[in-house]
Amino acid sequence: MSKKVKVIPCSGMGKVHGLVAREAALKVVSELCPADAETVCLAYIVTGDDEAKEKIEGAPCLTLDGCPKMCAAKNVELAGGIVKKGYRVVDIFKGHRGVKPGNATALTEEGWLLVDELADKVKENVLELGKEG
Amino acid sequence: MSSRYAVLPCNGLDKSVGCIAREIALGLVDRSESDLICPVLFRVSDARYSKMAAEKPLLVIDGCSTRCASKLAAEKGLKVAKKITVTEEVKNRNVKVGKSLKLGDSELELAGSVVEELLKEEKKEESAAGHEFSTITYDYEIYKKDKFIFRVPRTGFYFNENDCWVVVEGNRARVGVADYVQQSLSDIMFFTPPAIGAEIEQFGELGSIESGKAVFEVISPVSGVVTAVNENLISAPELINENPYEKGWIAELELTDFESDKEFLLDFEGYFKVLKRKVDEFHV
Repeated sequence: MSKKVKVIPCSGMGKVHGLVAREAALKVVSELCPADAETVCLAYIVTGDDEAKEKIEGAPCLTLDGCPKMCAAKNVELAGGIVKKGYRVVDIFKGHRGVKPGNATALTEEGWLLVDELADKVKENVLELGKEG
Repeated sequence: MSSRYAVLPCNGLDKSVGCIAREIALGLVDRSESDLICPVLFRVSDARYSKMAAEKPLLVIDGCSTRCASKLAAEKGLKVAKKITVTEEVKNRNVKVGKSLKLGDSELELAGSVVEELLKEEKKEESAAGHEFSTITYDYEIYKKDKFIFRVPRTGFYFNENDCWVVVEGNRARVGVADYVQQSLSDIMFFTPPAIGAEIEQFGELGSIESGKAVFEVISPVSGVVTAVNENLISAPELINENPYEKGWIAELELTDFESDKEFLLDFEGYFKVLKRKVDEFHV
């Protein structure tokens, strides 16, 4: 089993919050810490795909949810993943009242800044979890 | 007034701060339904006071750092809910107290203000919890438009055209926003509550809620004095998105003239028509 931390965003289809979650997760696994983190498709997890399930079962996972419904955190936990921290994009937004991040299909410059902020937080957590082994 | 504490003060006959501890205990018991535990009798008579301490949260009031009352509570194996040490209160408030066991004005004033704060805390806790509205039933009619679902409770609720609701029980009212508001705003991220004690006119502002899309001022369907706000919304405003009629209620008021207010409100049938029109005309 890969020892990489699993960074799993929600599907992120409906709102800009979800898009921020997806983009932040992709930034973490592909740019910030590709050696320490990888992502798993939430849709696979939800449908009970064996490979996806095997990847997260008992593994440290960081979930990134756009809205407070927490689809990613709930489903990862249900599938046996250990959610070390469940990030909520709405909490990042709370620190930037009045921000115009774009919409569900495209982010504005401000939206990308939120992605960077969330990705940095997740990266820190990935590195900490890496040290824990 | 609630029956908040079982109060265990120190005996308070060695130093003036001890006398202040006694004074705080007596003041609190006098002004709330708290019960007093005599520290001397407690040492020799377990049964009576242990039962009292088990029934109510225990407030321990020590005069000085010897903490006789705290030690007594520990000896008896009691769980302390709140602790006050008068010497710390003196330091924090930067007041001077004399050495005499007979309390002067400044000592009595200190005791009085500590009592006031304890009573206020009590009131605040009650406010956060809100009143139990036993008569509310949640039976929803649903109107669907595309992926959006708009619920409206069929009975017991009155509405204004600003999409705010009220339920009334006796002289108390609970107010919130309708599903239309939370669907239109989408993810609500901020809740600004009205001030407790504020007098609100019918159609006056009763706090606001905000999402990434817009700020919505809650327009009170009734006139009255704010007695409670849903403090859970401050940390979790998404409760309004989950269900604005139940856990997402906004505030409670003591009504001033509901019979007159009612003339300007809609019942279920009236509001449901308004909602359908709004959804069909405006909602995207």
